[in-house]
Amino acid sequence: MTTCERVKPAIGAWLDGELPASEAEATRLHVETCPVCGEEQRQLEHLHASLHAALTAGSAKPVFEPFWQEVQQRITRKTTWRESFTGWIHGTLTPPRLAWAVPALIIVVLAGLSVDFWFPGLKGGAPRDNFVAVESIDTYGRNVALLREDETKTMVIWLYQESENESSTEPAEFKPAF
Amino acid sequence: MNLLRNLLNSSLLFSLLLAAVWAYAADNSSQPVQLKIGTILASNQSDDFDARLKPLENQLKVMKYRSYRLLKEEAQSVPWKGNASFEIPGGRSLAISPQESKDKQITLKVRLTEGAKPLLDTTVRLQRRGHFLLGGPPHEGGALVISISASGQ
Repeated sequence: MTTCERVKPAIGAWLDGELPASEAEATRLHVETCPVCGEEQRQLEHLHASLHAALTAGSAKPVFEPFWQEVQQRITRKTTWRESFTGWIHGTLTPPRLAWAVPALIIVVLAGLSVDFWFPGLKGGAPRDNFVAVESIDTYGRNVALLREDETKTMVIWLYQESENESSTEPAEFKPAF
Repeated sequence: MNLLRNLLNSSLLFSLLLAAVWAYAADNSSQPVQLKIGTILASNQSDDFDARLKPLENQLKVMKYRSYRLLKEEAQSVPWKGNASFEIPGGRSLAISPQESKDKQITLKVRLTEGAKPLLDTTVRLQRRGHFLLGGPPHEGGALVISISASGQ
Protein backbone atom coordinates (compact mmCIF):
# COMPACT_ATOMS: atom_id res chain seq x y z
CA MET A 1 0.00 0.00 0.00
CA THR A 2 1.45 3.38 -1.02
CA THR A 3 1.48 6.41 1.29
CA CYS A 4 -1.22 8.14 -0.77
CA GLU A 5 -3.52 5.12 -0.52
CA ARG A 6 -3.09 5.14 3.25
CA VAL A 7 -3.33 8.91 3.82
CA LYS A 8 -6.09 9.85 1.42
CA PRO A 9 -9.02 8.22 3.33
CA ALA A 10 -7.79 9.85 6.55
CA ILE A 11 -7.69 13.43 5.19
CA GLY A 12 -11.31 14.04 6.16
CA ALA A 13 -10.75 12.86 9.73
CA TRP A 14 -7.56 14.94 9.90
CA LEU A 15 -9.38 18.09 8.78
CA ASP A 16 -12.05 17.41 11.43
CA GLY A 17 -9.30 17.04 14.09
CA GLU A 18 -10.21 13.45 14.79
CA LEU A 19 -6.72 11.88 14.30
CA PRO A 20 -4.18 11.30 17.06
CA ALA A 21 -1.37 13.89 17.10
CA SER A 22 1.34 11.65 15.63
CA GLU A 23 -0.87 10.44 12.84
CA ALA A 24 -2.14 13.99 12.19
CA GLU A 25 1.45 15.26 11.87
CA ALA A 26 2.37 12.49 9.43
CA THR A 27 -0.74 13.26 7.35
CA ARG A 28 0.07 16.99 7.31
CA LEU A 29 3.63 16.38 6.12
CA HIS A 30 2.43 14.08 3.32
CA VAL A 31 -0.36 16.41 2.14
CA GLU A 32 2.06 19.35 1.95
CA THR A 33 4.39 17.45 -0.35
CA CYS A 34 1.89 15.35 -2.37
CA PRO A 35 -0.08 17.26 -5.06
CA VAL A 36 -2.79 14.59 -5.36
CA CYS A 37 -3.53 14.49 -1.62
CA GLY A 38 -3.18 18.28 -1.47
CA GLU A 39 -5.94 18.56 -4.10
CA GLU A 40 -8.07 16.14 -2.04
CA GLN A 41 -7.57 18.36 0.99
CA ARG A 42 -8.65 21.52 -0.93
CA GLN A 43 -11.79 19.84 -2.27
CA LEU A 44 -12.81 18.65 1.18
CA GLU A 45 -12.19 22.09 2.67
CA HIS A 46 -14.29 23.68 -0.08
CA LEU A 47 -17.13 21.21 0.57
CA HIS A 48 -17.01 21.90 4.31
CA ALA A 49 -17.12 25.62 3.69
CA SER A 50 -20.14 25.30 1.38
CA LEU A 51 -22.09 23.16 3.80
CA HIS A 52 -21.33 25.48 6.65
CA ALA A 53 -22.46 28.50 4.68
CA ALA A 54 -25.69 26.81 3.67
CA LEU A 55 -26.55 25.66 7.15
CA THR A 56 -25.81 28.98 8.77
CA ALA A 57 -27.62 31.14 6.17
CA GLY A 58 -30.86 32.78 7.43
CA SER A 59 -32.75 32.22 4.17
CA ALA A 60 -32.76 28.51 4.75
CA LYS A 61 -35.57 28.90 7.29
CA PRO A 62 -39.10 28.87 5.77
CA VAL A 63 -40.86 32.20 6.35
CA PHE A 64 -44.61 31.79 6.86
CA GLU A 65 -45.42 35.28 8.08
CA PRO A 66 -46.24 36.93 4.69
CA PHE A 67 -48.28 33.89 3.69
CA TRP A 68 -50.49 34.11 6.79
CA GLN A 69 -50.83 37.85 6.38
CA GLU A 70 -52.14 37.33 2.84
CA VAL A 71 -54.58 34.66 4.05
CA GLN A 72 -55.89 36.94 6.78
CA GLN A 73 -56.28 39.80 4.31
CA ARG A 74 -58.35 37.65 1.98
CA ILE A 75 -60.57 36.46 4.84
CA THR A 76 -61.29 39.92 6.16
CA ARG A 77 -61.49 41.76 2.83
CA LYS A 78 -65.01 42.38 1.42
CA THR A 79 -65.42 40.92 -2.05
CA THR A 80 -66.70 43.14 -4.83
CA TRP A 81 -69.81 42.23 -6.81
CA ARG A 82 -67.62 41.49 -9.80
CA GLU A 83 -65.54 38.99 -7.84
CA SER A 84 -68.70 37.41 -6.43
CA PHE A 85 -70.23 37.16 -9.89
CA THR A 86 -67.07 35.67 -11.37
CA GLY A 87 -66.92 33.16 -8.53
CA TRP A 88 -70.58 32.26 -9.04
CA ILE A 89 -70.03 31.79 -12.78
CA HIS A 90 -67.05 29.53 -12.16
CA GLY A 91 -69.01 27.51 -9.62
CA THR A 92 -72.18 27.29 -11.69
CA LEU A 93 -71.04 26.79 -15.25
CA THR A 94 -69.43 23.45 -14.78
CA PRO A 95 -69.31 21.22 -17.88
CA PRO A 96 -72.18 18.88 -16.82
CA ARG A 97 -74.42 21.83 -16.11
CA LEU A 98 -73.48 23.46 -19.41
CA ALA A 99 -74.49 20.26 -21.18
CA TRP A 100 -77.98 20.41 -19.66
CA ALA A 101 -78.24 24.12 -20.36
CA VAL A 102 -78.99 23.29 -24.02
CA PRO A 103 -82.30 21.44 -23.41
CA ALA A 104 -83.15 23.85 -20.60
CA LEU A 105 -82.86 26.76 -23.01
CA ILE A 106 -84.98 24.91 -25.57
CA ILE A 107 -87.64 24.21 -22.92
CA VAL A 108 -87.78 27.91 -22.01
CA VAL A 109 -88.09 28.97 -25.66
CA LEU A 110 -90.79 26.37 -26.43
CA ALA A 111 -92.67 27.26 -23.26
CA GLY A 112 -92.62 30.92 -24.27
CA LEU A 113 -93.96 30.07 -27.70
CA SER A 114 -96.57 27.69 -26.33
CA VAL A 115 -98.19 29.78 -23.62
CA ASP A 116 -100.99 30.78 -25.93
CA PHE A 117 -101.28 27.20 -27.19
CA TRP A 118 -101.75 25.49 -23.84
CA PHE A 119 -103.44 28.34 -22.03
CA PRO A 120 -105.61 30.14 -24.56
CA GLY A 121 -107.05 33.27 -23.06
CA LEU A 122 -104.39 33.49 -20.35
CA LYS A 123 -103.34 36.88 -21.54
CA GLY A 124 -106.95 37.99 -21.15
CA GLY A 125 -109.35 40.06 -23.11
CA ALA A 126 -109.72 40.28 -26.82
CA PRO A 127 -106.70 39.80 -29.02
CA ARG A 128 -104.73 42.96 -29.61
CA ASP A 129 -105.65 42.77 -33.25
CA ASN A 130 -109.17 41.37 -33.43
CA PHE A 131 -108.88 41.06 -37.16
CA VAL A 132 -112.03 39.87 -38.90
CA ALA A 133 -112.39 39.73 -42.66
CA VAL A 134 -115.58 38.87 -44.51
CA GLU A 135 -114.57 36.76 -47.49
CA SER A 136 -118.04 36.19 -48.87
CA ILE A 137 -121.60 36.99 -47.86
CA ASP A 138 -125.07 36.12 -49.16
CA THR A 139 -128.09 37.58 -47.38
CA TYR A 140 -130.76 36.20 -49.72
CA GLY A 141 -132.15 39.57 -50.76
CA ARG A 142 -131.87 41.25 -47.40
CA ASN A 143 -129.81 44.32 -46.76
CA VAL A 144 -126.60 43.99 -44.88
CA ALA A 145 -124.41 46.55 -43.19
CA LEU A 146 -120.85 45.87 -42.14
CA LEU A 147 -119.18 47.86 -39.42
CA ARG A 148 -115.58 47.66 -38.49
CA GLU A 149 -114.65 49.90 -35.61
CA ASP A 150 -110.93 50.06 -34.97
CA GLU A 151 -110.90 51.67 -31.56
CA THR A 152 -112.83 48.85 -29.88
CA LYS A 153 -111.74 46.19 -32.39
CA THR A 154 -115.34 45.49 -33.26
CA MET A 155 -116.71 43.80 -36.35
CA VAL A 156 -120.48 43.76 -36.84
CA ILE A 157 -122.52 42.13 -39.60
CA TRP A 158 -126.03 43.58 -39.45
CA LEU A 159 -128.97 42.09 -41.37
CA TYR A 160 -132.11 44.09 -42.02
CA GLN A 161 -134.96 44.36 -44.48
CA GLU A 162 -136.76 47.59 -45.16
CA SER A 163 -140.51 46.99 -45.02
CA GLU A 164 -142.26 47.97 -48.26
CA ASN A 165 -145.68 47.50 -46.76
CA GLU A 166 -146.30 49.47 -43.57
CA SER A 167 -149.32 47.29 -42.77
CA SER A 168 -147.28 44.12 -42.94
CA THR A 169 -147.96 41.67 -40.14
CA GLU A 170 -144.31 40.63 -39.96
CA PRO A 171 -142.25 42.32 -37.27
CA ALA A 172 -140.25 45.30 -38.45
CA GLU A 173 -136.56 44.64 -38.82
CA PHE A 174 -134.19 47.11 -37.29
CA LYS A 175 -131.96 49.20 -39.45
CA PRO A 176 -128.39 49.26 -38.27
CA ALA A 177 -128.09 51.47 -35.24
CA PHE A 178 -124.48 52.43 -35.74
CA MET B 1 -64.29 14.12 -21.46
CA ASN B 2 -66.31 10.92 -21.86
CA LEU B 3 -68.72 12.07 -19.18
CA LEU B 4 -69.16 15.43 -20.89
CA ARG B 5 -69.68 13.79 -24.28
CA ASN B 6 -72.31 11.44 -22.80
CA LEU B 7 -74.08 14.35 -21.17
CA LEU B 8 -74.06 16.34 -24.40
CA ASN B 9 -75.47 13.38 -26.31
CA SER B 10 -78.19 12.88 -23.70
CA SER B 11 -79.13 16.54 -23.69
CA LEU B 12 -79.29 16.70 -27.47
CA LEU B 13 -81.51 13.61 -27.60
CA PHE B 14 -83.72 15.14 -24.94
CA SER B 15 -83.93 18.37 -26.97
CA LEU B 16 -84.94 16.49 -30.11
CA LEU B 17 -87.62 14.62 -28.17
CA LEU B 18 -88.98 17.87 -26.79
CA ALA B 19 -89.05 19.48 -30.21
CA ALA B 20 -90.90 16.46 -31.63
CA VAL B 21 -93.51 16.56 -28.85
CA TRP B 22 -93.96 20.28 -29.35
CA ALA B 23 -94.31 19.92 -33.11
CA TYR B 24 -96.90 17.16 -32.66
CA ALA B 25 -98.85 19.24 -30.18
CA ALA B 26 -98.72 22.27 -32.46
CA ASP B 27 -100.17 20.30 -35.35
CA ASN B 28 -103.55 21.98 -35.75
CA SER B 29 -105.14 19.14 -37.69
CA SER B 30 -105.63 17.13 -34.50
CA GLN B 31 -107.02 19.95 -32.39
CA PRO B 32 -110.73 20.80 -32.48
CA VAL B 33 -111.96 24.38 -32.62
CA GLN B 34 -113.74 25.85 -29.64
CA LEU B 35 -116.76 27.86 -30.72
CA LYS B 36 -118.56 30.12 -28.30
CA ILE B 37 -121.87 31.75 -29.07
CA GLY B 38 -123.61 34.41 -27.02
CA THR B 39 -127.12 35.48 -27.99
CA ILE B 40 -127.92 38.98 -26.81
CA LEU B 41 -131.12 40.97 -26.97
CA ALA B 42 -130.43 44.61 -27.79
CA SER B 43 -133.31 47.00 -27.32
CA ASN B 44 -134.32 50.49 -26.33
CA GLN B 45 -137.02 49.41 -23.92
CA SER B 46 -134.90 49.92 -20.81
CA ASP B 47 -131.46 51.07 -19.75
CA ASP B 48 -130.38 47.75 -18.26
CA PHE B 49 -126.99 46.33 -19.11
CA ASP B 50 -126.47 42.68 -18.29
CA ALA B 51 -123.40 42.39 -16.04
CA ARG B 52 -122.43 39.13 -17.75
CA LEU B 53 -121.79 41.13 -20.90
CA LYS B 54 -119.17 43.31 -19.25
CA PRO B 55 -116.29 41.88 -21.36
CA LEU B 56 -118.21 42.85 -24.51
CA GLU B 57 -119.40 46.23 -23.28
CA ASN B 58 -117.17 48.36 -25.49
CA GLN B 59 -118.03 46.38 -28.60
CA LEU B 60 -121.78 46.36 -27.91
CA LYS B 61 -121.89 50.09 -27.20
CA VAL B 62 -120.91 50.67 -30.83
CA MET B 63 -124.49 49.76 -31.76
CA LYS B 64 -126.19 52.60 -29.85
CA TYR B 65 -128.86 50.51 -28.18
CA ARG B 66 -129.76 51.39 -24.58
CA SER B 67 -130.21 47.89 -23.20
CA TYR B 68 -128.32 44.63 -23.66
CA ARG B 69 -129.36 41.34 -22.12
CA LEU B 70 -127.67 37.96 -22.52
CA LEU B 71 -130.34 35.44 -23.53
CA LYS B 72 -128.22 32.40 -24.10
CA GLU B 73 -124.62 31.27 -24.08
CA GLU B 74 -123.35 28.06 -25.58
CA ALA B 75 -119.97 26.56 -26.41
CA GLN B 76 -119.13 23.63 -28.63
CA SER B 77 -115.97 21.92 -29.70
CA VAL B 78 -116.00 21.02 -33.35
CA PRO B 79 -113.40 19.36 -35.60
CA TRP B 80 -112.07 21.07 -38.70
CA LYS B 81 -114.57 20.89 -41.57
CA GLY B 82 -117.11 19.67 -39.03
CA ASN B 83 -120.39 21.38 -38.34
CA ALA B 84 -121.73 22.87 -35.13
CA SER B 85 -125.34 23.90 -34.80
CA PHE B 86 -126.70 26.41 -32.27
CA GLU B 87 -130.31 27.14 -31.52
CA ILE B 88 -131.09 30.85 -31.66
CA PRO B 89 -134.26 32.27 -30.06
CA GLY B 90 -137.14 32.91 -32.46
CA GLY B 91 -136.94 29.56 -34.21
CA ARG B 92 -133.62 30.37 -35.78
CA SER B 93 -130.54 28.26 -36.13
CA LEU B 94 -126.88 29.06 -36.57
CA ALA B 95 -124.56 26.55 -38.24
CA ILE B 96 -120.81 27.10 -38.09
CA SER B 97 -118.12 25.09 -39.79
CA PRO B 98 -114.42 25.83 -39.23
CA GLN B 99 -112.61 25.52 -42.54
CA GLU B 100 -108.91 26.12 -42.05
CA SER B 101 -106.30 27.72 -39.86
CA LYS B 102 -103.62 29.81 -41.44
CA ASP B 103 -101.31 32.49 -40.07
CA LYS B 104 -103.06 32.38 -36.69
CA GLN B 105 -106.40 33.02 -38.37
CA ILE B 106 -109.41 30.77 -38.50
CA THR B 107 -111.81 30.67 -41.40
CA LEU B 108 -115.43 29.97 -40.49
CA LYS B 109 -118.44 29.27 -42.64
CA VAL B 110 -121.51 30.70 -40.93
CA ARG B 111 -125.12 30.04 -41.91
CA LEU B 112 -128.11 31.58 -40.18
CA THR B 113 -131.55 30.17 -40.92
CA GLU B 114 -135.07 30.87 -39.73
CA GLY B 115 -137.02 27.66 -39.98
CA ALA B 116 -136.16 26.39 -43.43
CA LYS B 117 -135.50 29.89 -44.75
CA PRO B 118 -131.86 30.93 -45.05
CA LEU B 119 -131.09 34.40 -43.78
CA LEU B 120 -127.35 34.56 -44.21
CA ASP B 121 -124.47 32.62 -45.63
CA THR B 122 -121.04 34.06 -45.01
CA THR B 123 -117.41 33.09 -44.76
CA VAL B 124 -115.31 35.07 -42.32
CA ARG B 125 -111.70 34.94 -41.29
CA LEU B 126 -110.84 35.93 -37.75
CA GLN B 127 -107.92 35.87 -35.38
CA ARG B 128 -107.56 32.97 -33.00
CA ARG B 129 -109.69 33.85 -29.97
CA GLY B 130 -111.16 36.62 -32.05
CA HIS B 131 -114.84 37.29 -32.29
CA PHE B 132 -117.40 39.21 -34.28
CA LEU B 133 -121.02 40.23 -33.89
CA LEU B 134 -123.89 39.20 -36.09
CA GLY B 135 -127.04 41.23 -35.53
CA GLY B 136 -130.33 42.32 -36.92
CA PRO B 137 -133.01 39.62 -36.56
CA PRO B 138 -135.96 41.12 -34.66
CA HIS B 139 -136.92 39.59 -31.32
CA GLU B 140 -139.21 40.70 -28.48
CA GLY B 141 -139.28 44.32 -29.56
CA GLY B 142 -135.55 44.52 -30.01
CA ALA B 143 -132.86 42.99 -32.17
CA LEU B 144 -130.80 39.90 -31.65
CA VAL B 145 -127.05 40.27 -31.57
CA ILE B 146 -125.02 37.07 -31.76
CA SER B 147 -121.44 37.12 -30.55
CA ILE B 148 -119.38 34.46 -32.31
CA SER B 149 -115.90 33.60 -31.16
CA ALA B 150 -113.52 30.83 -32.13
CA SER B 151 -110.33 29.60 -30.58
CA GLY B 152 -108.08 26.91 -31.95
CA GLN B 153 -104.57 26.39 -33.18
